[in-house]
Parts: sequence; C-alpha cells; structure tokens
Amino acid sequence: MRPFALKCKVNGLAIEREIPSSRSLLDFIREDLGLKGTKEGCGEGECGACLVLLDGKAVNSCLMMAVQLHGKELVTIEGLKGRDGGLHALQKTFMEEGAVQCGFCTPGLIIASEALLRRKPDATLEDIKQELTGNLCRCTGYEKVLSAVEKARDNRNA
Amino acid sequence: MKNIRYYACPSSVKDALAMLNSRKYKAMALAGGTLVAKTLPDTVETYLDLKALPIKGIKLQGGGLVIGAGATFDEIDNSKACRAWAGGIVSRAAAACSSQLVRNMATIGGNIARPHSFNIFPVVLLGLDAKVRVVSSKGSELLGLPELYAASPRLRPGANCLITEVLFPAAASKWRCEFVKLAKTDSSWESYITLFLAAEKRGGKVAKARVAVGALSPKPFRAAEAEKAILGAAGSGPAAFSAELEAARAGEYRAAAGAALLGRFIASL
Repeated sequence: MRPFALKCKVNGLAIEREIPSSRSLLDFIREDLGLKGTKEGCGEGECGACLVLLDGKAVNSCLMMAVQLHGKELVTIEGLKGRDGGLHALQKTFMEEGAVQCGFCTPGLIIASEALLRRKPDATLEDIKQELTGNLCRCTGYEKVLSAVEKARDNRNA
Repeated sequence: MKNIRYYACPSSVKDALAMLNSRKYKAMALAGGTLVAKTLPDTVETYLDLKALPIKGIKLQGGGLVIGAGATFDEIDNSKACRAWAGGIVSRAAAACSSQLVRNMATIGGNIARPHSFNIFPVVLLGLDAKVRVVSSKGSELLGLPELYAASPRLRPGANCLITEVLFPAAASKWRCEFVKLAKTDSSWESYITLFLAAEKRGGKVAKARVAVGALSPKPFRAAEAEKAILGAAGSGPAAFSAELEAARAGEYRAAAGAALLGRFIASL
C-alpha cells in the first residue's frame, strides 16, 4: 500500500504526514493526532458525535477519508477557543445553561452550533433546531442545548 | 475502507475516466462520499476523488437550469439561480435532504450515480424531465433518467463513466412544482415516500402534469393515475392514485398519505 503525503492545517497548525490511503478522517483525528474530543458514535453519519469543521463547514468525520483533508483546514473541538484563549463562548453557555450531561454528544453539538453561528449570526430558534437535526443527544432533551446556543448567539451579537 | 490502497485526485475528466477504466486501479469515484463511505464494495482499491474536476458550476442557460455534478446539496440549496428557477423547486428539494452535515458534503452527481430508493434528486429529475450528461471513454451523451437506468451496465456512473452535469429544461421553468418528503424526522435519510408534483396551466386549465414517486423502489417512477387526476380526467382522482401506490406495494399508510398530498396539490392549483 502506497502511503499518502498529507498536507493540511489542523487547529491552526500546518501538518505534513504520511498516512495510509484507507485511513478514515475520524481515525486520523483520534488515533494519529490524539485529539480525543471528536467522538465515534454510530460510525455512519447519523449521530453527529464526530463533527469537525472542514474549511468552516461542519462535516461527519466518520464519513470521510483522511486523504480528503489534503489542502484543507480542519478545526476540531480542541481548536475552538475564546478570544482570551480560554473556553469558547459556546462552551461557556453550554455550561451555564446545563446543556451537558454525559457529554458524549457535546463536542458535536458545539461544532454544529459554531458552524451555524459563523454562517448565520442572527440564527433563529428554528434555524438552530434545523441545524442540530444531525446531532443526537439521549440525555438533555435538547431544550437546554437550544437555550445555550441562543444565549451564545445573543452574547455574540451584544 | 480497509481495502483501499491508492488515492487519486485528477484535475480533468479525461484523466479521471482513464483511471476508472483501468483494471490496474480498481477505482471508484468519490464525490461527497456520504454514500460511498457506507456502501463501499470490498473489491475497490482506489479512491478517485472528484473534487478537483471542473464540474461544480450552477447557471441559468436559455431558460433552463444547469447544475454541475459536483455541486453539493448545500450549494444548490443556497444558489440564487436554483432559487430563481421554477419557484425554487430544485433548491427546496436539496434542502429536504437529511441534515446540514450531509448537505455540506453530498453532491447531486453522487445522488444520481449511486441509485438508492431514498435519494432525492432522481425523483426531481424524473418529474422535471431533466437530462444528465454522461461522459465515458466513448464520448459524451445526454440522457434522461429512464435512459440512464436502461443504459446499465454499459454505463455505470462512478464505475466506468462520470456524470458531469444535470440539465433542467426551459419548458419546466414555468411549472408549478411541489416536492414532499415524508420521513420519521427532517434529518432522516430514509423516507416513507417522496413525491414530486407539477402542473402547467394554460388559459386557466391544467395542460401538463407530472408526478414522480420515490422511496418505494430502487428507482423512482412516474404515477400515471396521479397525473390524470391533476389533468382532471374523468374517473381519476386521489383514490385512483392511492390504488396505484398500493399496487407499487406502498402499504396502506403511504398510499393514504400520497393520495392526501395529491388532493392538496390539486386543490392549490
């Protein structure tokens, strides 16, 4: 098997690696880069636990090959930070609103919410609900998640 | 994915076809990858990434709509040209596909090339009399969806040829169209039934009708009884469409839902 010379940017850092062409993006993130914040849930694009930002768009990393990252910019949950280098605004509002229980789905929910607020800073509650339809959470019942995203939106626009 | 040995990202359709048709590579085309990743045959050894091919543009042309096969559902949903054409039906159909996450990746070409009963665009293409441009080692062909299906195995998009663009005809631009996906949730890829309904009115009367049905069989089909009902033919109506769906093994719920949706569409004309 011929390794692939991958060049990309991950969380702001330029990366060059030789990887097997068969590597999934999720395995590359978790096993090769050691970024365990991105979770593997269903493994077939249904649950949203493995979300990352690829060139600013939220995608399921379980449905992508690592080679598809070539020449692109990846942001994982570890790469989301506040302006002061501390917690990101969404991470703060998720904590404040009690939108986290077991926490397995939380990185995916935050990535999806960040993608929405970047694209649509004045997103309505309906927009938020639509955006998060690809994220499954079995603990929170979603209400507090929605509140947290609305609060982050309001803080951002204040 | 464990059998994948090579990755290639050609920048021309000619190079991509050469790799697809070479026995050496055992290649499969990869567009968005959302279907390929789930259903990759073990015999495939090379991922042929189509992202660098010049097949992504969306434009209005002579009253028709032309969409490059590499355009994603999200790009189609947000395209001004798509939103302007035929009341935005193509955009609305794209928006009905699964979640934003899938729409960010999945392409119209992949949705047509990898037939599955839940795919949205085949239903829309069939209803709108759209054609796809298929390029193989023997040249380029413009085919309607039924002709594309009939051309298999001579033409197997993604395996021995490529879909490069989809052309929606100018004649359909003035149709009043609806697309409905009935599914467990908005983000479900699986749907109970998908319906494309269209009518063209001339002089206050319906002169043309189109109804395409998806999710009941691997390939969508035109519903003759429903089209007759829209045209107001004697003896036709939602009940006849319901019977037509039952004959297609839709089951009681989907047959009743389809008839109700048709009734609403007719009432709205």
